[in-house]
Order: sequence, then C-alpha cells, then structure tokens
Amino acid sequence: MNLAANTRALLEQALETYRDSPRAVGWLQRHLDRFGDPLRLAVVGVRETGKSTLVRAIAGEKVADEQAGMAWFGQSRHEPTLLDTPALEDGAAVENICMEADAVLYLVRHPHNAELDFLHTLRDHPIARATAVNAIVVLSRADELAGGRPDALISARQVARRYRREPEVRELCQDVVPVAGLVAFAARMLRDAEFHALAALAALPRAELDAQLLSADRFLQRDGEVRGPLLERFGMFGIRLALTLVRRGTNTPDALAEELVRRSGLGDLRDAIDRNFSSRRAALKTRSALLGLDVVLRMEPRPSAAPLAEGLDRILASAHEFRELRLLAALRSGRTRLAPELLTEAERLVGGHGTEPADRLGVPAADIRPAALDVLRRWRGWAESPEFGESARRAAAVVLRSCETMATGAR
Amino acid sequence: MAAPWLEVLDDTVRACTTQGRPDLVRRLRERRSRLLERKLRVVVIGESGQGKSQLINALLNAPVCAVGDDHTTVVPTVVEHAEAPTATVVTGGRRAIEGPGHQPVAVESVSAEANREARSGAPVVRAEIGLPRALLAGGLALVDTPAPATLETVDSMSADAVLMTTDATSGLTQAELRLLAQVARLCPTIIVVLTKIDLVPGWRIVAERVRVALQQHGLPASVLPVSATLRLAAARTGDKALNEESGFADLIRCLHRDLLGQADLLARRSVAALTALTVDALLEPLREQLDATQQQSNGEAMSRWQAEGCRLEKLQRDASRWQTLLSDEVSDLLSDVEFDLRDRTRRILVEVDEYFEAADPARTWEEFEGWLRQNLTTVAETNSEWLLDRFEWVARKIGRQVAPHRADALPESLPRDVPADAVGDLRMPRVERFGVGQKLFVGMRGSYSGLLMFGLATTIAGLPLINPISLGAGAAFGAKSVFEERGNRLKRRQAAAKTAAHRYVDDFFLTYGKHSKDTARQIHRALRDRLSAVADELRAEITESAKSIKQVIDTDAAEKAARSNEIRRGMEELTLLRQRAHSLSPRQLAAPRGLTA
Repeated sequence: MNLAANTRALLEQALETYRDSPRAVGWLQRHLDRFGDPLRLAVVGVRETGKSTLVRAIAGEKVADEQAGMAWFGQSRHEPTLLDTPALEDGAAVENICMEADAVLYLVRHPHNAELDFLHTLRDHPIARATAVNAIVVLSRADELAGGRPDALISARQVARRYRREPEVRELCQDVVPVAGLVAFAARMLRDAEFHALAALAALPRAELDAQLLSADRFLQRDGEVRGPLLERFGMFGIRLALTLVRRGTNTPDALAEELVRRSGLGDLRDAIDRNFSSRRAALKTRSALLGLDVVLRMEPRPSAAPLAEGLDRILASAHEFRELRLLAALRSGRTRLAPELLTEAERLVGGHGTEPADRLGVPAADIRPAALDVLRRWRGWAESPEFGESARRAAAVVLRSCETMATGAR
Repeated sequence: MAAPWLEVLDDTVRACTTQGRPDLVRRLRERRSRLLERKLRVVVIGESGQGKSQLINALLNAPVCAVGDDHTTVVPTVVEHAEAPTATVVTGGRRAIEGPGHQPVAVESVSAEANREARSGAPVVRAEIGLPRALLAGGLALVDTPAPATLETVDSMSADAVLMTTDATSGLTQAELRLLAQVARLCPTIIVVLTKIDLVPGWRIVAERVRVALQQHGLPASVLPVSATLRLAAARTGDKALNEESGFADLIRCLHRDLLGQADLLARRSVAALTALTVDALLEPLREQLDATQQQSNGEAMSRWQAEGCRLEKLQRDASRWQTLLSDEVSDLLSDVEFDLRDRTRRILVEVDEYFEAADPARTWEEFEGWLRQNLTTVAETNSEWLLDRFEWVARKIGRQVAPHRADALPESLPRDVPADAVGDLRMPRVERFGVGQKLFVGMRGSYSGLLMFGLATTIAGLPLINPISLGAGAAFGAKSVFEERGNRLKRRQAAAKTAAHRYVDDFFLTYGKHSKDTARQIHRALRDRLSAVADELRAEITESAKSIKQVIDTDAAEKAARSNEIRRGMEELTLLRQRAHSLSPRQLAAPRGLTA
C-alpha cells in the first residue's frame, strides 16, 4: 500500500471512530474530500507585496471564489488551486492558512527587510516539523530591486541565489524565486491594443523615447489616455522591457507575451512549484490530511481513538517521502553534516532539485538505469561506512533507499 | 559668551560624572566636540535597498558610494569637504593596538574597497572621502550607513540631522515608523526622502500618505520626494528642468536653508534631545535604586537580630530551670546514697550479731577484725563509686540542657578519691580472763553450799557432817558453779564484742557519711559554678552578636537614608536639567520648514 492509500484508510477509520460527533465527522469528511482535490497553494505576504497580482499572473483570468476569508482560484485538474489571502498585518488568520493550504508561496518585497515569522509559524506544529518545509519564498517585486532597469531580473536572480544560501532562509523554505509580478500578470493577459500601443511607442525615435522613459511623470506627459493605463498595467520596468523586446524584433503579441512571461520570472516560479510541490503532491496532501486528523485527535480525545494516533505516528515515521523531506531539511539546515560534494549529491538524490529520476540522478532519461546502479553501489558503501557518524549513516541510509526505488523503477 | 546649549550640555556632562557613568560622559564629550566643530553631520539611514548610497551619489553628482541591487553597503562612508579629492579606509577594532589605521585609496573605489575588505573580515571602521563640492563647503558632512537602519547607527555617527530614505513603491512600513520615533528622540531633525519616484506614477499619493503617517505618529519630519536616476541623467545632459524634476534641487535647498542655515537651532535641538535622553538614562537607575532603598528593609539582618533576642530570653528562662533541676537531682542522689550506705552497714551488723551468737571474741577477734575492716572498705568504695557515677550522669544530663553544642561545658572528670581514714582502728574490747584461781574460788564457793546442805541432811541419819555423800555433793556443786561462771563470762564477752563492733560501724557510718556528703556538696558546687560560667559565656556571646547585628542594621539604615536623600537630590537636579533642555528647544520650533509640494 502506498502513502496515499494508507492515509485515506486512516481517515476512513477515523470517520468510523468519530461517527457520533457531527463536528468531527464534518471536519474529517472535508479533509477526505479534499484529499482527492488538486494541491492548494496559499499566496501569503504582508501588505503591498503583490499577492493578488501574482495569483492572477499564475492562474490567468480564472473566476475566484470567496471562502474562509480567501479568494480561491481553481485551475485545471493537475494544477494547484491558488488561495489569495489577506495581508498578514491586516489580520490574516494564520491558523486558517496553515489548515487550508497544502503549501505556501511566501511573498517578500525585499529579501533583507523581510519578516520570516510567518514561516516559523508554519513550522510550529509537530506534524509540520516531522514533514519538513512546504514553502517557497518569492521576491515578488523583483523588478524594483534593481530600480526597474530592463536587466533587473538578472540581478534579482543573483540576489535570490545569495539569499537562498543564508542558513536562516535555507531552513525555512525550499527555494527563493524572483518574479516581476506586475509584468507577468500583464503579459499573461496581453491585449492586442496594448501590443499595438507598445509597438507604436517602439517606433518613436530612440532619443526621444529614452527621454520620455526616464520617469513615470515624463512618460505620462504625452498621450496620457493611452499611456496611463499602459503604465498602470506594465509599470516602468514592464514598459522598458517590452519596448526593448519589440525593438529587438519580437513582433507578434503572442511572442511578446511569451518572452515577457519568461523574462518576468514567472516560468521559473512555475518550475519551482512543479519541482517542489506538484511532484510531491502525495506527500503534501498526506501532510495536510494528517494535520487535519491530528486536530480532531487533540480536540476530541477518546480511548477508542488510540489506534488512530498510532496509525498517524506510523505513517509519519515510516513513509519514505517524509523521510526524504526530513533529510532534505536536515541537510539544508546543516543539522546533518556530510562532506560538501556528498551533501550536494544527497540533496539531489532525495529530490531536492526535482523528484523525477532524471532530476535526481542528473542524467538524461536514457541513462537512468546505469546511473542509478552506480549511485546505489556507492551509497550502500557509505551507509555502512565506519568513518561516518551516526547521523551521517542514517542520512546515507535514506539516500540509499531513494536510490533503490529508482533502480527498481528503472528496470 | 558660550551658547546656552553649551552650558546645558556641560551641566549634563557634569551630572553624568556625578552619577558615575563614564560611558555617557565619553559619549557626550564626543558629541560636544562634534557640535563645536561647526560641522553638520547628516546621516543617511534606511532599510536595505532604499537607495541610501545612490542618494549621496546623486547629491554629490559623483559615484563615491558603492551601489548595487543587493546588500551593498557594509561599512559607513563619511563624505566631507576637501580642496582636492581624497579618500581613506579607516580600520580599527581588533587591530586597534596599532591605533586606527588610515589607508589612502582612490576616491572612486574607496567605498567598494572598504565594503570588500569588511566582508572579508577586516576590521574596517569606515571609509572617509573628501570632495571639493560647493554643497559640502558650508561644513556639511554626509554619512552613508549600512542597512538595517538602527538607532545605534544614528547614535554612533553622532548625527546632527537624519535623512531617512524610503522608496516610493510603498509607504513607510510599521518598522520604519517605529525606528523614526526612536531616532526622533535622539536626533530630532529628520527629513524623510522618498526615493525612486521615477518608477512610480502615483508617487504624489504615496508622499501624501507618508506625510499623514508621520503626522499621525507625531513625528516632526518633512518629506522630500526625489529620483536619483533623474538627477544623474540631468547631470549627464546638463538639463536644468530635469534636475528640478528630480527633486534634488529642493533637497539641496533644504539642506542649505533648513540645516546649514540654522546650525544653532539644530545644535540646540540636538542638545535638548541628547540631554533629555541622557537624563532619562540617568533617572531610570536612580529611580530603581530609590525604590530598592525604600522597599528592601534589611529583612535578613533584622530577623537574625530578633532570633538572637529570642535565644537570649530562652537562655535566661533555662538558667533558673536547670539550677532547680540540678539541686533536685543532687538531693535525690544524696538520699539514695545515704540509704545505700545505711542498708549496707545494717547488713554487716546483722552478720556481726549472728557471728557473735556463737563465736568467742577472745579467740576469734583477730579474724573478725580483718573481716570487718575488709567489708567496710568495700562498702566505702562501692558507695563512693556509685555516688560519682550518679554525679557524672546528672552532670551530663544538665550539661545537655544548658549548652547542647558545647562539649567542654562539663569538667573533665570528678574527684574520685575514697576517704582513707573512714575505716579507723578497731580495738578489742577488754574482757577479764577466767583464771585458775578464780575457777578455784568459784568452785570452792559452789562446793561449800553443797557440802553444807548434804552434810546437814545426812546428820539426821546419824552420819557426820563431813561424810562421803556431802563431799560428793560439794564437788558436784563446785563443778556446776565453775561451769555456770564460765558460760556467763562468755556471754559477757560476746555482748562486749557486739557493742564494740556496733560502735565501730557507727563511727564508720558517721565519718564516711560526713565525708561522702561533703564530696557530694563540693561536686555539686563545682558543677553549678561551671555550668553557670558556661551559661554566662553563652549569654555574653549572644549579646555580643546581637549587638553587632543591631549595629549593622543601624548603620545600614543610616546609610540608606543618606543614600536615598542623595538619590532624591540627584533626581531633582536631573529634572531641573531636563526642564532647561526642554526650554532650549520649544516644540513649535521643532519642525523644520519643509516643502509642501
């Protein structure tokens, strides 16, 4: 039986145990229904971090539901549902977010000024600790980091890379991704009229245009009724970037939209979501379900629920997915020490850079089997190596198990 | 004449010296010399990425401070006026043994160099730059600081005025407002510079929002929106209109008119703020000390003193009790001992009586005398042994009561001598000998009456007076008389021996009894004196200790009263100082004339 089936069985057992308590049944039923739903991704941040913009940029123009104080953006079956939450300082119910969402995108404007308290709160629950992190930090207004220059995103990527390596951040999130949310959103919804307006601007003489692009005020001095909405939608960075692209020969709306999306960092963000969340859907869903079950067990303790608590502990302790996640967190936070090159490899093998075998092994799909056998052999040695300390050997054993799974799967 | 603010500052320094705060004195002295320099230090603070370094570069139209998209500035940079461009990296800290090092570097790269060195762990304190700029010529010094902006930065740079940068893409955050409120207490001259207005179409709204927020928090700061990008572009092209649009023209005017032009006001305001802060810093511990002196009533010493008093009282109560106890015990002991003695001698006398029922003292006197002496000596020894043992037991019992913790309370040992003269000489009573002559005489006397009685009776039968019958009867009567006389004499001897023995034992009883009583009395007295002395010693000890504790308490109370008076006086002085500082800078003057654009 796999993780999902085990968890579902446990939830059904809980429903049976608590059938006389309407409140518990309602709660458990909700979690059971939710178990089959797409992943829920909450977009969280303080005021003016561009939460709604980013949600719309990822989801496109989907209709939002209001529920539990958050706007829900459903997408297709395989993509995560996005939750647009109120700003943290406006009293967003952190508890609620933790309970409703399977994973979190935490938006910050500037890496060094950001408050990471929320991410700490996310990890407070014992089950949350046992199943490691489920958050990505998004530098959501990455264009402003470099003063809106057309190359702002490149610079922002460097900032993000450096930020990701800080120990405090490594421990709290799986990745740090810069996104220019406004541009991404505008590009996703690029209208023909907007493209034409941009094309007309790009056609202006270079010197004249540059002078107008110096500041928002100057830009709006002429053609206010056309340029005003344009600036509103794209921002100075977006307009500068789009004009550069058009001038360089991106001459259809679709091509421009695609290029803008790419350059806004939205693509990277989606990849990061896929890599860190969608591919670990089962683990994340299980995590949420177990959190829900734990709430019931704590709110309405009863003797007959003892087997449930045992089952919960068993799943937490034995599921290999969770062991991988825990090891990943331990490696990233430096709690488990390995030699640097082993550390990098271990991180990759347990799915730190994507859970597909090709990602884990870092080889093309065709070479998976020999590569898997090779790492299997090496890590078996390390798992039993007397030179390793206790925690390093345990870590190697988890990596070994991942290697075995890949080797058997590749046959 | 010295400016009034200088007097207040000097008084504040003096107050710090009085309160024993050399750290504050040092800081104030530093500030004082800075204030007297007639140089205006404008410190630029702000969160990371708000354009602090860029603001200075744009102000000076020169790329002197390193700028970048990430956390760039690590060490402060001080930019001052100089005839020709100069630049140094100042090091100190761990290498402070060598004294602050000054290391000349090229002007363009000094800031980047300093940051690079600081990142690699070198103890760089700051970078110093001198530039020939008209803006700086009036004594203005611009200080670029690393993020995050903290109160310490402002303090350590001894700012005369603070430029707080915040970018126009968002208003002031709560954290920034909190920081501003703190900074305002230290350096009340604040200008909030809204940077990056070129990026934001709605910067005017943001500026208005910032102004409202500042007003709501009661912060007397003006808001100036600027764009460094525009300023640098204007410098490149020489475009006057663009320069005006960048907002820097306003900022420079503000620096000249509101800061440089009113140096005295700024100094007064700085001193007022500084004094207020210092006074608060001094008052806080004083208040705590005052509370401490008033609350804490030396409870521990007081309770110890009371405990000593209780002990003394108990000791006195005990003294009469143990004395009664001792005399009771001794009288019990004496009566017991006397009874024992009487009992033992009586038993000896009984034996003596029985002995002399049968024995003839004339023959066994020697043996008897030895036996009696022996017995009496044993009695004397046993009895005196017992007496001493009992005394020791009594002494230990009382000693435990009087001084339970003093092993030396009792005399080492009691005098254990048995009176040697108690058993005196026993002389044999004088008994007359029953000699042959006497026997003959007694026999003749007895035989005479028998001879006569039987001679007369036989004359009736016609026999002569002296006949064989009367002779026989005379002999028989004579023998009987002799026997009777011998028996009587034995009885007399025995009675005399008994009487002698009784008298002898009585003598012994009297002598020994007297001696034993004397011994008991002596020991009793010795014991009483010894224990009294111990009790007195204890009492003296306790009295002494109580006295010393009382003394401590008294001196302590006196000291406390003096201390609290001193503290109160100090607090009054400080309050006065604060009032003077306050009058230096009335609140309505506090807000510099800002732009309302």
